[in-house]
Amino acid sequence: MYAPATGKAKPVEEEVITEENVFERPDETIGFFPGQVLKDGYVSTFILLACVVLSYAAPAPLTEPANTATVEYVPRPEWFFFFYEQMLMFFPGYALISFGAVVVPTIFIGLLFAVPWLDRSPQHYNAVSRPFASVIGILVVVVVVLNMLLAVSRIMNFPTA
Amino acid sequence: MIGRIKTQTVEASQFLVDWMEHRTGIVTMLEHFLYEPVPKRGAWLYTLGSAVLFTITLQFLTGILLLFYYAPTTDDAWNSVEYIMTDAYFGQLIRGIHYWSANFLMAFIGLHMGQVFFSGGYKSPRELNWIVGVILLLLVVGLSFTGYLLRWDQDGFWASVVGMKIGSYSPFVGGYVIHFLLGGDVVGPATLSRFFAIHVWLLPAMIAPLIGAHLFLLRRHGVFGSEFEYTDRIAKLHERQRLEEYARYEADEDEGEPYVGRRDRADREGYERDGE
Ligand code: HEM
Repeated sequence: MYAPATGKAKPVEEEVITEENVFERPDETIGFFPGQVLKDGYVSTFILLACVVLSYAAPAPLTEPANTATVEYVPRPEWFFFFYEQMLMFFPGYALISFGAVVVPTIFIGLLFAVPWLDRSPQHYNAVSRPFASVIGILVVVVVVLNMLLAVSRIMNFPTA
Repeated sequence: MIGRIKTQTVEASQFLVDWMEHRTGIVTMLEHFLYEPVPKRGAWLYTLGSAVLFTITLQFLTGILLLFYYAPTTDDAWNSVEYIMTDAYFGQLIRGIHYWSANFLMAFIGLHMGQVFFSGGYKSPRELNWIVGVILLLLVVGLSFTGYLLRWDQDGFWASVVGMKIGSYSPFVGGYVIHFLLGGDVVGPATLSRFFAIHVWLLPAMIAPLIGAHLFLLRRHGVFGSEFEYTDRIAKLHERQRLEEYARYEADEDEGEPYVGRRDRADREGYERDGE
């Protein structure tokens, strides 16, 4: 049976908690307004302030105009592509590059879409009670972070190459 | 005098509210949306999703303002960005917000996804919201990729060239995709036009309704949050199950077997079996 977890389903006293409805409503709630909206507002204000300050403290970059003739210019991707660029270095040569550049990420994205069906046990929300999913998740984070660090150290050690 | 103005103002606004409510139902709708109960304990964690929402809204707003000056042609693009940075009123601020908020957006979308993943927020019946989320992630990555070229500076230009080269390695479809994006054989005026169209029209037009779907599904199922929002209910469930089990054993007592806990019973049975 479908029951939305809106917290309006039944008065608390009468409710018999079963395996099916235990996650229907949290123990304690706040009103979206003002409770959550206020917290969201603090975060948003902070982000906006940070953006304004950074706009002047570290202005958005603009390098020389594009010059199609300079073949040896080494571009640097944005930081959130660092891990990807770095990962490609583990797939050298023509045969492997398409594998690393496209096939592996495509499989990864496919798996990302499939996450809700790869991990279906309905009662195991807690990261500890579904160790397999959590370990995979942590591994992905570690691989991404390590690749980013590799890329950063490469950039710092060889600024122009 | 002041009292009368006060009552009149109250009456007038009450009239306006009633008038609108009668014609649009907006007041009931607002009440419905605003007073929704949401989980309390991890409320700060769940600001990650709204941080994504806020930063992408900033992108839309500052992006529209940038369009007042930006010229998407190979001759003018760089100059117009330069103009925005040096001469346009608040140009540096607007472009700065667009740039920094884009970076924050990438960080927050990753954190939001991580939070949902590690608290199992994608589980039934919220699978489709995860799917919508992954699509949004891909579209946002597309935004940042296409945006980089629009500056038409060395970094953006050559990073896009490299990106296109990587894309061209796709098995089977690579050639077609790249040809479509390039609008020719090399990165040139047609490429800039296409990246501009994709960055400014195509992707935002896809993202906006998907965000709507994301929030609609969110409201339909309620925010799940994390398991620690349900500790008391889980404890009550286990307590009830324990009592029921106890009652079942009590019913068995007619047969002369005294109640023993599950563990004890298994131990004793094992012991007896060993003793045989
Ligand atoms: C433009 C991008 C996105 C926006 C604006 C957005 C916004 C939000 C907001 C405001 C919430 C509710 C608060 C919260 O739980 O954090 C939420 C929940 C959720 N988001 Fe997103 N999100 C985006 C991307 C994603 C991505 C990339 C994923 C995962 C792949 C995702 C999956 C989910 C799920 C499953 C929920 C429900 C969580 C729950 O009920 O506890 N979202 N999103």
